[in-house]
Amino acid sequence: MKVDAVVIGAGHNGLTTAALLAKSGRKIVVVEKRDKVGGLCALEEFHPGFKVPGVHLDTSGVRRDVAESLDLARHGLAFVAEEPPVFAPASDGPGLLLHRDPAKADAEIRAHSARDAKRYVEFRAFIGRVRGFIARLLNEPPPDLNGTGAGELWDLARTAIALRRLGADDMLEIARIAPTCVADWLNGWFECELLKAALAGPSLHGTFMGPWSSGTTATSLLQECVASGGVRGGSAALVTALHAAARAAGVDVRLGSAVEHIDVAGGRVKGVTLASRETIECSIVASSCDPKRTLLDLVAATHLAPRFAMAMRNYRMRGTSAKVHLALRRPLEFRARPGQVFEIARTGETLDELERAFDPVKYRKFSSEPILEIRVPSISSPELAPAGQHVASILVNGAPAELEGGWTDARRDELGNAVVNALARYAPGVRESIVAREVLTPLDIEQRYGVTGGHIHHGEHALDQLVMRPAPQCARYATPIEGLYLCGSGSHPGGGVTCAPGALAAKTIIERPARP
Amino acid sequence: MVLAVRRPKQAKGSLRMPIPTPFHPRTSALCTSYRWKQWAGYYAVCSYEMNHEREYFAFRHAAGLLDVSPLYKYDVGGRDAAAFLSRVMARDVRKLKVGQVGYCCWCNEEGHVLDDGTVTRLDDTRVRVTAAEPALAWLDRNRRGFDVALEDVSERIATLALQGPNSREILKQVCGADVERLKFFRATATKLDGLAAVVTRTGYTGDLGYEVWVARDDALALWDALVAAGKPYGLEPAGLDALDVTRVEAGFILNGVDYFGARDCVIPSQKSTPYEIGLGGTVHLDRDPFVGQEALKREVARGSEWAFVGLEIKWDEMERLYDSFGLPPHLPATAWRTAVPVYANGKQVGQATSGTWSPLLKRNLALASLRTPHAKLGTPLEIEHTIEYQRRTLPATVVEKPFFDPERKRA
Repeated sequence: MKVDAVVIGAGHNGLTTAALLAKSGRKIVVVEKRDKVGGLCALEEFHPGFKVPGVHLDTSGVRRDVAESLDLARHGLAFVAEEPPVFAPASDGPGLLLHRDPAKADAEIRAHSARDAKRYVEFRAFIGRVRGFIARLLNEPPPDLNGTGAGELWDLARTAIALRRLGADDMLEIARIAPTCVADWLNGWFECELLKAALAGPSLHGTFMGPWSSGTTATSLLQECVASGGVRGGSAALVTALHAAARAAGVDVRLGSAVEHIDVAGGRVKGVTLASRETIECSIVASSCDPKRTLLDLVAATHLAPRFAMAMRNYRMRGTSAKVHLALRRPLEFRARPGQVFEIARTGETLDELERAFDPVKYRKFSSEPILEIRVPSISSPELAPAGQHVASILVNGAPAELEGGWTDARRDELGNAVVNALARYAPGVRESIVAREVLTPLDIEQRYGVTGGHIHHGEHALDQLVMRPAPQCARYATPIEGLYLCGSGSHPGGGVTCAPGALAAKTIIERPARP
Repeated sequence: MVLAVRRPKQAKGSLRMPIPTPFHPRTSALCTSYRWKQWAGYYAVCSYEMNHEREYFAFRHAAGLLDVSPLYKYDVGGRDAAAFLSRVMARDVRKLKVGQVGYCCWCNEEGHVLDDGTVTRLDDTRVRVTAAEPALAWLDRNRRGFDVALEDVSERIATLALQGPNSREILKQVCGADVERLKFFRATATKLDGLAAVVTRTGYTGDLGYEVWVARDDALALWDALVAAGKPYGLEPAGLDALDVTRVEAGFILNGVDYFGARDCVIPSQKSTPYEIGLGGTVHLDRDPFVGQEALKREVARGSEWAFVGLEIKWDEMERLYDSFGLPPHLPATAWRTAVPVYANGKQVGQATSGTWSPLLKRNLALASLRTPHAKLGTPLEIEHTIEYQRRTLPATVVEKPFFDPERKRA
């Protein structure tokens, strides 16, 4: 069999690349190891009648322009106007219900600190001003630092102009804060610990970093600056629409088709060989697998030059996140706010508490007091659970992939118990409400989804692994192997549910100069 | 698995003292000149007497015994050993049969030579690599995807080079028939006066010669056995000064003298590719990928900029130059290794990196790196020569190398 390109992996990025390439008139096959599409966004039934949309639930970063270029609306995709507010519970008092919109957040923050309520308006205004520049940085392929052509220079110049347009104050401020830690940055803005912890939380998701790790301000900014209303129905709805768009564009999505290896000869891609020994010939392979899986596992070692192989080996992707899925008999109710339900809740009352949850990870242990990002998707998507019942999908910060002594069933249960305890601290009724529980350690995530180290972002969002991601030799999607491209979260602009790496990789492939 | 025996790391200019080789009790007792140098962190004899001449003539007319234990030695084990080394080396090591030795160089991915050495297929799953510089980290870095174990045996193995026209007869006294049949660049595991040893028909003198590899603890017994067997055959312990004359006569390059391993280079122009230093013959280019292959293919396609040649400096012209100063011709006592410019019609086209007066051939010889257009046999050139603090040039010609290549070397 011979096609124009094979895309490895039917996650949201793989489907994006495949659909865009197919729309450009190419014959595309997507090969997916699992028997369903979606990758980390796939809908999973973890208990009869209870479903969660995979590992990723935050769709606030999905690029509207990609959805438009693929006409996803026609395939059932809709965006919500804004993300639901985040509830940050506290041991004492009412906690904090945090909206992005400062007007809506005002009363909640004022209950903790009048000064912070004022500062929050300024904070959001700052984000609003730098948003354009950072979004530009994230929505373009990384600058080609070796390029000397007019096109490359023009790209660099436009980025420089966008930076300059920020004005001297904001430009200097970005340069000043980007390498700092999010704790220092937020301490400079606010006094309320609960507010700071709630704002810092997402910058640590999935990373090998605590709020006192340098560079976390940058990861926080990257998330804040692309966030808008997410996808109605969440990540599972996104992959359903992408799958439909891909098929409509003529993409052949082949499930249950694990890739054995990418065939390379003379430094060029020749095709892929599947576990079934079937070979698909093609001159382009776009892999949405993580860079390590793609280049160190799927390509024979002899095809990589030593320095590049070392760069790939040194690419950091040690997972630190586990997932806990709870099937709940009753709505998830917090002690501080009886009778209310929240689609998103976030534990961690102080920055130090976030840091303490990270500390043991450094020593290959998991935290007995993990930090939880709790989503209850069944509030807006009741079809995920039987009538009146709910699912909670909890992203757990503070569980290392390489656990000392290794992950076992007992250790997995221990982690699950720690998570339920941490949640019951604020929602004591949850224990009696649990019908079923699924715990996915980073190792489980690695084994189920094929992500190295179970790293949900396909690699650390650290300053040295952003933009020039995953390594300078393949930062612009093309790898040193002619015809092999990376199109997953291990490429610029990184992880999360955005479709951006997939779209930018497709753009690179479409614009690639024809070879003789 | 990497087994690294701790070896005292002696960087150039290190303040730490060199350490003795396993043969030190014997070599130090004989080294009445106290002329030592540091080689890879070890004490190595320059010459046992104040002058190396007797040792040189032993190499060329009888046999010399040289302690080469400071060589870096690595054993690569496992079913992928040969495939792995074919990936690292510019040579396809898989083509070497068991019991065969290959001279190799290995490059970085830009095709610049890191080092050169021999590769010996000891058996189906074991290959021994020798190197002038530490290579374990480089081997380890390229090991991904191959089922091999690496062991640094530099400390564990003691090695003597027995070189010269009488070396076969001497070895026969202690080894028996195995050695008689041993062909050029072949290896055999044997018993030497009861000691388990590997004998390879290799060396750095360009003559009939062998290298004998034994366990460190057997070093002194090996020395004593060879010295006793060699006595009737004029065997002399020999040092590095004598070796240096023979290796120039043989036209062999030396890492750190005639070229520099890419890791030691500060600027790109200091680096060399195999083709530029005369090792093109050891490169097997058209095969599955090896480190540096793409760059070397490009070089072959566009042609090399540099070539490595032999030069002969004309004696008569030299005599004339000295005469013009009222002096008899003067030659340095040992081989020289201070690079000097080489010119063509007054324009510099390269440099001579080492040279010697060959007492055997009665020729004034040098090894030189030249820009390719000036490297053809017979090309007339000028080599810088300083006389009475004045820089002059002497006519030199590109000549065939090896300068010394006796039939018995391969016979």
